[in-house]
Order: sequence, then structure tokens, then C-alpha cells
Amino acid sequence: MRALVIDDEEDVRYVAQMSLGRVGGMTVLVAASGEEGLATARRERPDFILLDLMMPGMDGPATLRALRQWPETERIPVVFLTAKTLAFGVDSLKELGAKAVIFKPFDPMTLAADIRTVLQ
Amino acid sequence: MRSPSIVVDEAARLAALDRYAILDTSPEEAFDDVVRLAASICQAPIALISLIDSTRQWFKARVGIAVTETPRESAFCRYALEQNDVLLVPDAFTDDRFARNPLVVGEPYIRFYAGAPLTTPEGLNLGTVCVIDRKPRTLTGEQLDALRVLARQVMVQLELRRMIAERTIAEEEHRRSETRMRSILDNALGSLIATNQQGLIESVNVVAERTFGYSAGELDGRALDTLLEWPAFVSLRDVNLGRMTESVGRKKSGQLFTCEIALFELYAADDQRHFAAHILDVSERHEVERMKRDFITTVSHELRTPLTSICASLGLLASDVMGELSPEARRMVTVAERNSVRLISLVNDILDFDKLQRGTMEMEMQPVSLRRVLEQAVAATNEAALQAGVTVELRETESVALGDSERLVQVATSLLSNAVKYSPRGGIVRIEVMAVGESVEVRIEDRGSGIAPELQARLFRRFERADSSDARTKPGTGLGLSISKAIVERHGGTIGVDSREGEGSTFWFRLRAVGDYRQFLTDRAGASS
Repeated sequence: MRALVIDDEEDVRYVAQMSLGRVGGMTVLVAASGEEGLATARRERPDFILLDLMMPGMDGPATLRALRQWPETERIPVVFLTAKTLAFGVDSLKELGAKAVIFKPFDPMTLAADIRTVLQ
Repeated sequence: MRSPSIVVDEAARLAALDRYAILDTSPEEAFDDVVRLAASICQAPIALISLIDSTRQWFKARVGIAVTETPRESAFCRYALEQNDVLLVPDAFTDDRFARNPLVVGEPYIRFYAGAPLTTPEGLNLGTVCVIDRKPRTLTGEQLDALRVLARQVMVQLELRRMIAERTIAEEEHRRSETRMRSILDNALGSLIATNQQGLIESVNVVAERTFGYSAGELDGRALDTLLEWPAFVSLRDVNLGRMTESVGRKKSGQLFTCEIALFELYAADDQRHFAAHILDVSERHEVERMKRDFITTVSHELRTPLTSICASLGLLASDVMGELSPEARRMVTVAERNSVRLISLVNDILDFDKLQRGTMEMEMQPVSLRRVLEQAVAATNEAALQAGVTVELRETESVALGDSERLVQVATSLLSNAVKYSPRGGIVRIEVMAVGESVEVRIEDRGSGIAPELQARLFRRFERADSSDARTKPGTGLGLSISKAIVERHGGTIGVDSREGEGSTFWFRLRAVGDYRQFLTDRAGASS
């Protein structure tokens, strides 16, 4: 399974990459911004995208909308990753077309399994 | 004719003289007229209005004499003070009292004297209206009467003066007191607005003008209701009397501000009811409170991102997926991981607490299986129970309550992890679900050391712990129970503890059955509208 992690925080990107890769056995691509993530997604067509909600420039919801504009990324499932618990309700994020919302801090040992469950 | 002497209370007499405030005043026509008339009627060269203080006789008006005062000892008039009628001295040479008087043997060579006393309403003699001649003589009956009448007229003048003087003093005092009151009102921190019983404004202080942006003139007669976003004044005036309530004020510019209002009744000397509102602009204070809360929220959120990296890194290290660690290194990493998890739960508690305070915690109410809620709580505390050597027994009872399942899991987990934390090694924690009337009660019973009665009520308050030394030995924020209480109360339920020292504690929460909860919502909607 190929994952794309889009997060502006390098440390979060790295631990997510290790959690999904070393613990979950996935192939993990990373991108540091919404713009970069969109380009990577269109080129690599990952099986799902773990997308940070709050990012400078193109934020999570904007990136999600952009992904939906392109035929090659239109159907890729997106899971939001967020530290915020107030700004957006889970429901409004799901209405944007997200498959699930995972809150920081996540459990590195179960992150991959949790995502596999919601993707099924 | 010698009138009988009267007893003189000299102190009272001097005090009375003082009250008329006449001594050493300038000549006045009304008094000058009297002495001219006296001289003319009595055919005398000298006529005086003489007032006697402790040392002298002083002339308010005089005819035929230049001096304005003479020493008291030589004054004929001091003898007149002891009379209640005219003192008549036909020939001073033949009167023992006056034969050697300097005014008789020298200037102005007095031989004849007639003085009618100036008697106050309380019977004190202040002085005389007198006529003097340089030859012995007497007065006719008409002249004596005229002298008495003139003395009475002088008293009328003096009385009038006194009344005017007293009124002026009273008015001055009143003005001073009004200025003082005004200054208190105008320097008060809040707006003070006085109204009639319909709530129409009668007067305001300067703060009210400043706060609402209207002049006192513009506010006069205006309805208090137009300054406040509240139900009508008449519906509130008796209900809210003497109570502080929060409302929203409206300035002339249309700008709204949060304010606190205290209404009270004023007592005026009429048969109308009058009210006053004390209105304090608290928008600034509210703004500071809001900023403080926002700051807490922001910091708590900002902490989550670095904590995510720390926690996940340590978790990955501890699990050996990043390569095998030496036993010592793994133990270190485990310590670090456990403490970063504690930090996260503190941040989560603060955020939850903040949400509950703001009323922004969303609850998704639906029928919830309590068995599933409790199973999740047991699973969440499983590892802690294993490590503490505590057995958790869940007695299976299928029960449905209306609630937010995630939040109920949070409450059950919080209570269960407390029970595990405070159980002795090898202890048992029992979880029971029972129906109590229409409600459903979850009971979590431990065999810990129990909680003293005086501590039980305090437990559910913020940051309270049963024993402050626990803070060092048992992890936790002290927020868990207060959050649980708030969540349960948002469900319309109750939470509590039954405990005996040395015998353990049973923490319980009771939720409304489905129908009952709907009633709670209806009641709450009714109460807040």
C-alpha cells in the first residue's frame, strides 16, 4: 500500500512516515505543503493521502478541493490529520469529502491499522 | 415710673444677639428712619438704636451723636436691659445710678433718657431704641407709646434680617450638599440613571452621558429600555430589584456593550415610585477574559503538534521498530513516553475543560449501549490495571441511555482509571449498571482507602485531589472529575461518590432514561427563553 503524507512539520512527517512504513509496512511518500502534495499525488497516485489540516499557503481543505479537481487524484481517499479540535467539526470535514479524521497526537503503533480499517 | 427688674440670662442674651448678625454692620435706611422718627416724635436732640454686647453698646442708627459705640459700663441702656418696659430717667443728676456717669458729667451731657427695650420673641433684651436730651424733662403718654412701637418695629426688622440670613445659610448648605452628592454621583464608576415607575429617565450622572453618548438633555424623558437590550423595564423593575444582572447596553452610535445592571428603588418625597439603575460597562473585562481563554486554547493546541512528534518518536523507539534498544535505553524511553502521554492527557483535559466552559463541546445525543461504553472504558484502562495488579469486573447488564457515546466513554474511563489507580495491588474493581426508577446508574466500586466525607464534595471541583500528596505519587491533572461532572450534567444527569474511609469508594453517575431526557431538554429550552 502506498501512502502520501502531506504535513508542513518535518518532525510530524517523519514520525508518520515511520509509523506507516516501519510499523505498517507501507510505502510512504511525503510532501511539505499542499502545493507539493498535489503535484506528488498527481504524479504518483498513492492509495491514500494523510493530509494535515492546518498548513500555511494551501491548507488541508484547499488541498482536498484541489485534489478533487483532477481526474487522476479525484478518487484518492483522504484522511485528515489535525491538532485542532474546535475550528472544524469532524462532520464538516467529512462533508468536504474526507474519509476520516485522525487527531494529533496519534498512536504510532496503531496509525497504519486505524487507517486500513477506515479505508475498507 | 419704675418697671420691675427682670432676671437676665446674659449668655442666652449674647447668643441671641449673635444670631441676628447685626453688630458692626453698615448703616441701613430702615433703622435710620426709626431714630429720625423717634427724635422727631419725642422732640429730642439725640436718638439711638443701641445694641449691647459683652463690652460695649454699639449704635445701629443714631441722630445727634457722632460716636458709633461707647463702653458698656457707662451705657444707660444696660439698665434698660433689666426692664420689660421703657426705662425713663427724667433727670440724671438726681438719679444715683447716673449722677456721676461720664456721659452725664461730660459729653454729651445727658440729663434726660428714655429707652424702650428691643425684646426678642423669647423675651431677651438686645438693646434699646432710646431718646436723650441735655435738659431734664419727660415724655407724654403718646410719645412713650410711640417709643414702644418703634422698638417693636426695630425687632420686626431684626427678625426679618435673621430669617433671611438663616435661609441664605440653609440654601448655601443645601447647595454644598447637592454639589457633594453630584460629585459622588458623577465620579461613580458606573452610569447612574434615575427613572420614574414607567422607566422614563428623570436624571443621569456624567458617566451615563459618557457611556451612552447622549447628553443629559437628550436622555431626559427617554425610556431606559432604549438604552438596553433587555425585556421591558416594567416587567423587570420588581423582579430584578437589588439584583445584579447582565445585559447589553446600546450607545447612541448603535454600538453594543456587555454591562452589569443593578436596579434599585429610590425614595423621593412624593407618592410616585422612582427607580435607579446602576450600569457598569464590563465589556473590557469580558474581552480580557475572552483573550485569556483564547490564549489557553491556542497554547494547548500549539502544544499538541510538538507532543505528537515526541510521543510518536518515543513510541516507535520503545517498540523496537527503529532497531533494538538495550534494556536500560528501552527503560529510559519508556519513562519518557509515559510522561509525554501524561502531558498530552493534561493538554486534552485543559481543552475539554475550556470547551465545557465555553459551552462549545458538541454532544451527539443518541441511544447508547452502556455495555459497549463500559467495555471501551475497560479496554482503555486494561494496561494500567495489569500493571497495577488490579482486576476489573464488569457485570454484564444491557442498558440503553441517551447520550454522546464518546463522551460517556471518557467519563467511564476517567472514573475507572481513578478506581484502578487508588486500588491496592491485587484489588478488585467492580462495575455495575442498575436501573434506578427511570434512570440508569453506573457504579464503579473500588477497595481503596476511601475518601473522608469533607473531601467528597470538593473532589468534583477543578484541580482538587483527595490528597495533595497524591499529586506526586499518582499521575493525573485533577481536572478529570470536574470534566466528568460537567459532561454528565450536560446529559441532564448526576454524578457522585459514596465512600467510607478504609472501606473503599463507589463513584457513580446516573443518566436519564430516553423519555426523561427529552423532558429535560424541553425544560431547559423553556428556562433559557
